[in-house]
Amino acid sequence: MNQLNNPTAQAVDNVLIYIFGFSLILLLGITVVTVYFVVKYRRSKYPEPTSQVHGSWLLETIWTVLPILIVLTMFWYGWTNYVGLREIPEGALEVKATARMWSWQFEYPDGRKESKLYVPVNQPIKVLLFSTDVLHSFFVPAFRIKRDTVPGMESYVWFQAPEPGSYDIFCAEYCGVGHADMTTSVEVLSEADYAQWLQPLEPSATPRGLVVLDEQGCLSCHSLDGTDGIGPSLFEMAGQPRQVTINRESKELIIDEEYLKLAIRDPEAEMVDGYNPMMPPYDEATINNEDLQAVVNYLMGKAEAAKTPSAGAQLMDENGCLGCHSTDGSDGIAPSFKGIGQREVTIERDGKEITVKIDVEYLRRALLKPNADLVKGYSPIMPSADYLSPEEIDAMIQHLLQQ
Amino acid sequence: MTKIALKNTGFYSESPRSGILGWLLSTDHKRIGIMYLFCIVTMFLVAVCLGLALRLELIAPGPTIMGPQTYNATFTVHGIIMIFLVIIPSIPAAFGNLVLPIQIGARDVSFPKLNLLSWYCYIIGAVLAVIAIFSGGGAPDTGWTFYVPFSTQTTTNVNMAVTGALMLGFSSMLTGINFVTTIHRLRAEGMGWGRLPIFIWTLYSTAWIQVLATPMLGITLILIVLERVFGAGLFDAARGGDPILYQHLFWIYSHPAVYIMILPGMGVISEIIPTFSRKPLFGYWAMAISSLAIAFAGSLVWAHHMYASGMSDFAILIFSFLTFIVAIPSAIKIFNWVSTLYKGSIQLAPPMLHALAFIFNFAIGGLGGLALGAAASDIHLHDTTFVVGHFHYTMFGGTGFAFFAALHYWLPKFTGRMYSHKPAVIAWALLFVGFNVTYMAMQAVGIQGMPRRYYDYLPEFQTLNVVATVGSWVLAVGLIMMFVNLWNGIRKGTPVGKNPWGSATLEWSIPSPPPLENFGEKDPVVTKGPYDYKGVIADEY
Repeated sequence: MNQLNNPTAQAVDNVLIYIFGFSLILLLGITVVTVYFVVKYRRSKYPEPTSQVHGSWLLETIWTVLPILIVLTMFWYGWTNYVGLREIPEGALEVKATARMWSWQFEYPDGRKESKLYVPVNQPIKVLLFSTDVLHSFFVPAFRIKRDTVPGMESYVWFQAPEPGSYDIFCAEYCGVGHADMTTSVEVLSEADYAQWLQPLEPSATPRGLVVLDEQGCLSCHSLDGTDGIGPSLFEMAGQPRQVTINRESKELIIDEEYLKLAIRDPEAEMVDGYNPMMPPYDEATINNEDLQAVVNYLMGKAEAAKTPSAGAQLMDENGCLGCHSTDGSDGIAPSFKGIGQREVTIERDGKEITVKIDVEYLRRALLKPNADLVKGYSPIMPSADYLSPEEIDAMIQHLLQQ
Repeated sequence: MTKIALKNTGFYSESPRSGILGWLLSTDHKRIGIMYLFCIVTMFLVAVCLGLALRLELIAPGPTIMGPQTYNATFTVHGIIMIFLVIIPSIPAAFGNLVLPIQIGARDVSFPKLNLLSWYCYIIGAVLAVIAIFSGGGAPDTGWTFYVPFSTQTTTNVNMAVTGALMLGFSSMLTGINFVTTIHRLRAEGMGWGRLPIFIWTLYSTAWIQVLATPMLGITLILIVLERVFGAGLFDAARGGDPILYQHLFWIYSHPAVYIMILPGMGVISEIIPTFSRKPLFGYWAMAISSLAIAFAGSLVWAHHMYASGMSDFAILIFSFLTFIVAIPSAIKIFNWVSTLYKGSIQLAPPMLHALAFIFNFAIGGLGGLALGAAASDIHLHDTTFVVGHFHYTMFGGTGFAFFAALHYWLPKFTGRMYSHKPAVIAWALLFVGFNVTYMAMQAVGIQGMPRRYYDYLPEFQTLNVVATVGSWVLAVGLIMMFVNLWNGIRKGTPVGKNPWGSATLEWSIPSPPPLENFGEKDPVVTKGPYDYKGVIADEY
């Protein structure tokens, strides 16, 4: 164990050295005295004992009281230094760490998500700990910090790194088949590197259309995931038939770009059956033509086309898929992603084994109901990705199909 | 002394029924003790093989001989067998049954039929545990701690394993009730509390923990099954439950349980050291009272397994303090054993060698416990292989070596045969060295930061893992040698008289092996203490 120059490690190491030091002296004492007695009073030299002493109140009192005093100093030293592990210095950067089977996700105050914990040097970092499934434990040996992540409970640890570098993070609470692979790292960056890291790599990972929908508050009435709201859901509309009322006359049309543009610029021109006319019209001053096109592209499913692969790759990383699925074809806890878009799999469905071609539908089901169609030879342990939006699911599917 | 077949001597030849039924339906404490011993040693060897497989897997990073799921199931089954089927019953059920009634001058335990029932509970528990490995969704993979929510979600055969552990809990409770009653009611004339061998004091303390703490285990295990089968939600945070509550319930039993495991071992050592020093045990009353103190204080420290769990800091303060208090009685015991050697006449016979190894190993285990009891240092060491090493130092280096000491000490009494000493000493040396290499390396790699229950690890941890694995091979050779030597001793060893070691307790005043009912026609009358060696002469063998 090399002593480390950071506040939490020092708090722990000082206690360890104090206790191990005392322990070593005691152990040596006991061993030396035992060996000395065994050699000196061996039966070949002393066929009969030379004392029949039954005990000694004085000695026994001494070796009761003395150890009590020694261990109480250990207790107190251990406690006061533990308090140092809980009290966070001012100006700490808060990062949210979420553990799940079997990966870590770190979320920054600005919403940025990473699979490694990037932090600036010399700043106290408070890591808020959460779990989405079972118990895990956030353990960084270099900082001597460890705390369980408990579902339904928020917890924290803090640390401060005086030097840039990469430090291992382990899961220390047993959590199943991927426990030993649930490792990542703290990447401590110099001030300059951290400032650079703070610059987003891409202007925005979110499609412009979705940003507009969000900014304009569209999503408070129209859901993205198919749930019915005040207005019709925006889920998978492209090419779908829709019953609308024009001039008090009900008729069916197919959703296309023209229809969507009209529905935004002049909502009450064609009312969808079953909904009330309450949506405000959005004119050019509110949503310019460029943004309108972006929204329509997004709703028609075109926005993703260019961007999807990289977004999908990032989602895979953020959501810990790679904790179990390899990308290099090596067999792990789960099937490899390599070539997944071109292969057939044997799955168990309703107790029968069938072989299917991997396609969009298969992958969607595999993500949302992973244990319904189990790939032969693997355990039903994958958590559902149903907390992701349909767009995110689609992005991941697109990415997978290109593997 | 002429050599006659074992089955024609002592209690082996006397039974109301003949053949196998004479054993399976016997209420004789010695026959039940022998049956326990046979089952425990068998299960021990099975779990040792699993342990060796785990060590072999860890000889190199990545999958070596097994994948993660197999590894997880292997350490779970290793733990369940070792804890519930081997260590907990090892000394109390096997040697407690064999020795306890004789040492207090009784002809049997208070409730002989209950005693047989608890053996059957043990067997049912063992069978369920074994079935759990090969049926349902596969061998359980939760670790022996069954932590929720993982244990309520995994598809492996946890229900069956938990039911097995429940039956073993019943076995333990019934034995506890039997021993408490026997010690209170069946002591021979003159066997006052101040003349009880310390082994009896430790069994007495253990029995109280078994009676008082084991029901908690039963309740906790039933709650797991309710959670799994009916989705009771008691430990599910999303429905108002609490996963940390489970840990409290589990450790309220399982921490006292480690004292169930170690106390009788301390009792064995307290018999062997005076015998082979021919000198009274130093500080008899301190030894007796410290046993009760360990049992009592040991029931109040359960949450020191939970410093990193998210429990409140105030609770950590209290439990850390209590944990250091429980260290004191153990320290007193070690000092008193060493003082017993002073000005004695020390004979390094195999039981004594194992007893001395116990003191060394247990001292390391106990001192390592101090670093785990202190709040700050535990945060780093918790859930690393340091904890695994520490636990093995107390349970294997401690209880395990005490069990080996008891085998070498009492087997001649109950078989009437002496094993040969030279192989016993060589086996002891291999065990001692192999043990310390294996688990000291494991503790060291834990301090480096390697988490426990990892089948795969970073390259920087490899050197110490290789050392530990090589140590486990030395350990394995020592075990084979020891058991082969003991087995040969049972089959064709030199016949021994009543008292081959020159011991002063009552079991050495009757024939080896003892007859049914132990004491012939006249009840024994006790006139001196258990460690009064004046005039006691060891029989030649």
